[in-house]
Amino acid sequence: MTTETTVVGKSLPLIDGYEKVTGKLKYAGDLPALQRMHHAKVLRSPYAHARIKHLDTGRAEALDGVSAVLTYRDPIIGTKRTCGQVWTDPSFNFRGPLISDEVCFVGDEVAAVSAVDEDTAKEALRLIDVDFEELPAVFDMEEAMKPGAPRVRPWGKNYLDSSLFAWGDIEQGFKKADYIIENRTTMGNQQHAPLDRNACIAHWDSEQHLTIWTSTQALFWLRDAICEFFELSPRQVRVHSTPTGGSFGLWWANNFMFIARALARKARRPVRFSLTRDEVQTTVKRRERPITDIRLGVKKDGTLVAQSHRHLLDNGAYGNKFDPYQSVADLYTTEHGRTEFIGVSTNLLTAGCMRGVGDLTLAFAIEQAIDLAAEKVNMDPVEFRLKNVWKTGDILHTSQEVVFAKLMFNKEPEIRLTSSGMHECLRKGAELIGWKDKWKGWNEPSAVDGSRRRGVGCALSTHISGLPFFGYNGIVIKVNSDGTMALTTGIGRMGQGGDTTQAMVAAEVLGVKLEDINVIDGDSEVCPHTMVTYGSNGMHMVARATRAAAEDAKRQILDLAADALEANAEDLEIRDRRIFVKGSPDTGIGLKELMSKPIYEYLASPEIIGRASQGVDFTKSGKMMIADFCEAEVDTRTCQVKIVKFVAVHDSGTIVNPAVCENQVAGGMYQSLGFCFTEHLVFDDETGAILNPNFMDYKLVGPMDMPDPIIHFVQVYDQDGPFGAKGIGEGVTCAVPAAVAAAVRNAIGVWINPPITPDKVMAALHRG
Amino acid sequence: MKAITLNINGEKCRVQARPHWSLAYTIREKVGLTGTKTGCEMGTCGSCTVLLDGQPIFSCLKMAVDAEGHEITTIEGLEKDGKLHPLQQAFIEDHGMQCGFCTPGMIVAGRALLDENPRPSEQQVREAIAGHLCRCGTYARIVRSILHAAEMSQNR
Amino acid sequence: MEYYSPTDLKEAYALLGRYGASAIPVAGSTFFMGHREELFDEVEAVVDIKRLGLSYLRLEGGRLKIGATTTLAGIQKSELTARGVFRIFADTVSELNIKEVRNMATIGGEVCIAGEVDMPTTLLAYDADIVIGSSKGTRVLSMQKFHRGYLNNALETGEIVIEVQVPQPRNGTGGGFGKFERTAADLPIVNACVRMALGKNGVADEVAIAVGAATAAGVPVRVAAAEKAVTGKKVDDALIAEAAEAAGAIDCVDDFRASARLRSRWVRCAVEDAMKKAVAHARTGD
Repeated sequence: MTTETTVVGKSLPLIDGYEKVTGKLKYAGDLPALQRMHHAKVLRSPYAHARIKHLDTGRAEALDGVSAVLTYRDPIIGTKRTCGQVWTDPSFNFRGPLISDEVCFVGDEVAAVSAVDEDTAKEALRLIDVDFEELPAVFDMEEAMKPGAPRVRPWGKNYLDSSLFAWGDIEQGFKKADYIIENRTTMGNQQHAPLDRNACIAHWDSEQHLTIWTSTQALFWLRDAICEFFELSPRQVRVHSTPTGGSFGLWWANNFMFIARALARKARRPVRFSLTRDEVQTTVKRRERPITDIRLGVKKDGTLVAQSHRHLLDNGAYGNKFDPYQSVADLYTTEHGRTEFIGVSTNLLTAGCMRGVGDLTLAFAIEQAIDLAAEKVNMDPVEFRLKNVWKTGDILHTSQEVVFAKLMFNKEPEIRLTSSGMHECLRKGAELIGWKDKWKGWNEPSAVDGSRRRGVGCALSTHISGLPFFGYNGIVIKVNSDGTMALTTGIGRMGQGGDTTQAMVAAEVLGVKLEDINVIDGDSEVCPHTMVTYGSNGMHMVARATRAAAEDAKRQILDLAADALEANAEDLEIRDRRIFVKGSPDTGIGLKELMSKPIYEYLASPEIIGRASQGVDFTKSGKMMIADFCEAEVDTRTCQVKIVKFVAVHDSGTIVNPAVCENQVAGGMYQSLGFCFTEHLVFDDETGAILNPNFMDYKLVGPMDMPDPIIHFVQVYDQDGPFGAKGIGEGVTCAVPAAVAAAVRNAIGVWINPPITPDKVMAALHRG
Repeated sequence: MKAITLNINGEKCRVQARPHWSLAYTIREKVGLTGTKTGCEMGTCGSCTVLLDGQPIFSCLKMAVDAEGHEITTIEGLEKDGKLHPLQQAFIEDHGMQCGFCTPGMIVAGRALLDENPRPSEQQVREAIAGHLCRCGTYARIVRSILHAAEMSQNR
Repeated sequence: MEYYSPTDLKEAYALLGRYGASAIPVAGSTFFMGHREELFDEVEAVVDIKRLGLSYLRLEGGRLKIGATTTLAGIQKSELTARGVFRIFADTVSELNIKEVRNMATIGGEVCIAGEVDMPTTLLAYDADIVIGSSKGTRVLSMQKFHRGYLNNALETGEIVIEVQVPQPRNGTGGGFGKFERTAADLPIVNACVRMALGKNGVADEVAIAVGAATAAGVPVRVAAAEKAVTGKKVDDALIAEAAEAAGAIDCVDDFRASARLRSRWVRCAVEDAMKKAVAHARTGD
């Protein structure tokens, strides 16, 4: 069911494009100083695990210009609920006690200072005397799980209870198989690495009321976390979330924001805490590092009969995730299956969600195992996937909805896939890369030219289009007297164009132009509650509320017009800013005229407010489909890998704004290609310190490094998504590493885990 | 502290600066022009690019006290009398941005390129922005925007 | 911290003399500003030497003289490096893909840093001399003697590099530069420069091979064994491979950026690439 659209489906310019190209868009670090505002700096731990033996802040406090020094001794640091207990907020992302006398990774907070300027705050840090007693630390996940391993932090176990999903009878399943494939993969340590460094300004405008300004994708989560942490009512906390200069899962509710808040309280002044690049890279969060064991049972004809996955995820010091938000565990339909996740703590930088989360790391493992299975039965990897991959209506055994329904209501619902264009994605991708010509068979490179060997690989993935338990979505649309509108939403702005595409949905429903709509966002007092903007929920879930609010406004407009036109509201339609009788377009009234026209009874013109606040039916799960194809060239002389061609085919349902979505796909490819090759936080084996804390050595992919991707959208109309749309923003990263590893393997015959460095290629090709 | 006068976008700005303050920091924090972004503060991301006498430099690596006597152009200097520079127009039309954080640096670098070479090739565009990162990975459309702007400028 | 911007050498020397070790001379400021946090405590005076008239390239008495504060872009755009025997200096600059840094960084700064930059490798291959100035006068040191290790050189307190001099190579000399990095905008992980004078019948009359960035010494080194392998012989692919192999035997640094073993491989590759370019250049002389 597709309907004709006038706004949806067009590459309309971003509504904040003007602010971006003129430098007028304000990220948190760009906000003007408040009167009496001071600046924060933090003293950080040089040890991976240590207890503070001695701490003297006297000299720092005495320094001219210093307004507050915060340490674990301050009574305001954490509440009963968080001190000494596991912090169970779903953002899995901050520290527990705000500052403690036990530091658990290199870079952990020891003390915080606010002062008249940054130079003075830095000076004050140098005046703090601190002695540590080093404690045993553990950096390796499997070591951390052993009995007798050093305890990572002063509360909780080193690893969480496993999240287990099982269906069918796994042992019987493997017995039915002709071959069993067993494989283990790992990946590196990726950092979100947004270009912006972020800042947080905290200001107590009265004893009882706190205002926070920061860049975050999680407006209401941050507010709620602050309320919970400091035992405040939402009435007392107002959060202004500015757009992020990239986030990718980094800027939710982070410890540094809480520190700004506590310093502001103690200093009795507004405090701004602006992070340095090193702090962004090494003290906030990173992607979980995985170790994954896969077991697949396959029949001689290429039918998968059983699959089992065991996925360890490194939570670092304060991550607390027990389930990595995977969908890909269900990607291949098998009668029997078992999937297990275990979150493990280590004395390394906290880890947590990053774009693509579990589906990137698990897809890497599964897709490699799928290739091994296809090789075992000597099938073309594309054919093998076409045979086994899921279809519309398949039951989802491992969805997070299952976990949360169980956690919250102790029920185990049946959840089904709403739509899948995966088969078409695979076929289209194979065509665009030239698979027929380039795939020469297992252990046959596509081409060999001197020391250069080319290979091709393909990989699939999928990802959620939001999760219902992220909360209700509220949207308000106010129609102005000239027919323009203000759409108020709590959606986060981090470059995904969510404000633009939500406005496009409203404009489509309301028959106006995109430029007629202003989007108001980022204010927890003004905006209705909108789910945290993550998990690619914007288009599939938030937009349902946007559509409902627009329809609410439309209904009121039509009622009003019905009076003016002496017609039935059901017979009216709006298009091009005009309301008219269906079938006789000449009988109508302009929206502006309608909205500015006084109503006789009140001698006043009307104001229309459309609104919606709604949850989402969780039993129908819309997932995006991704098929990536890669052609890579390995130079056996230099051991360098070059990406020759990259094809990304996506089914995200209807594409609401193609240019926005192409940018998302391209960006996901670049980020994941970075992860494949040069993006890897290197931890010192001895100390656990990060050796490459900046862009000098944490190498992002630049404009000269990779080819532009070839992008194609398979637009399968999703019955549940607004105008048939599903999510896109996160899944774009998920299949890339597996496709690259497969292409490299096809070129040189060796599987290499990311980061695929020249060193590893050399080790694989040139022994001794 | 040293009193200096910076000539930014044709306007004289008197500020007090310390020797270790970068031009980027001073422009942002003391002059109040926050379009110039500072992503890394060590010359590795390109966000802080400004023109110094028409040549692109990283303003995070330039001492503010050493920027006196030069014509400094920041992103705020490109829009003239409410009219966008063709580069700005092209970046909007072609979606040469996502989060927008690298955008001012990309546009300023693009301006330096087009001033020197009004009809660059795609390779020349990539070379001109080689020191710039876009974490959102918008390179394809950034390059397209700069090429499009070159075309627009020619047809003016 | 004080900032000074002297306009003649005498004034600059006086400032450097007055502040001694706590003064830092600055020109392009890329190193100073890039390391300002670490340097903050030790530096009392920043002496900007950009206004001393030290930005120039000229050919004088058979030597290419480059003023210490000449930017990399200045070297790249000079007519003296556009073609011929000094083209290698423009080629070397082109290896740094970051235009903004080329516009700021100076040859004097690169000479003093030496470790993770390209130009010193080329200067070493071209037997450059470093002219050092102070209130006591000037002295000249060869590149070989100037460097003692990473960020460690022969400059005494109060001294600065004021000029770099490159003797004009004989006719028929070609130059080539080879480089490995992790992405297109990176520090060099390995670089190499080859200077080769080709005589009749394609015999290498004179060969200099320098390797930088990768070395355990932290500064560029000349690879005598590789030079010897080629000198006086007819250059072909096999000989180039032999020289590259010899160059790969140098001590390489081992760190998280690349293992010593990989660097050694890349040294071989970079020398091979540089030598092929040098031969091609020597043949055309362009």
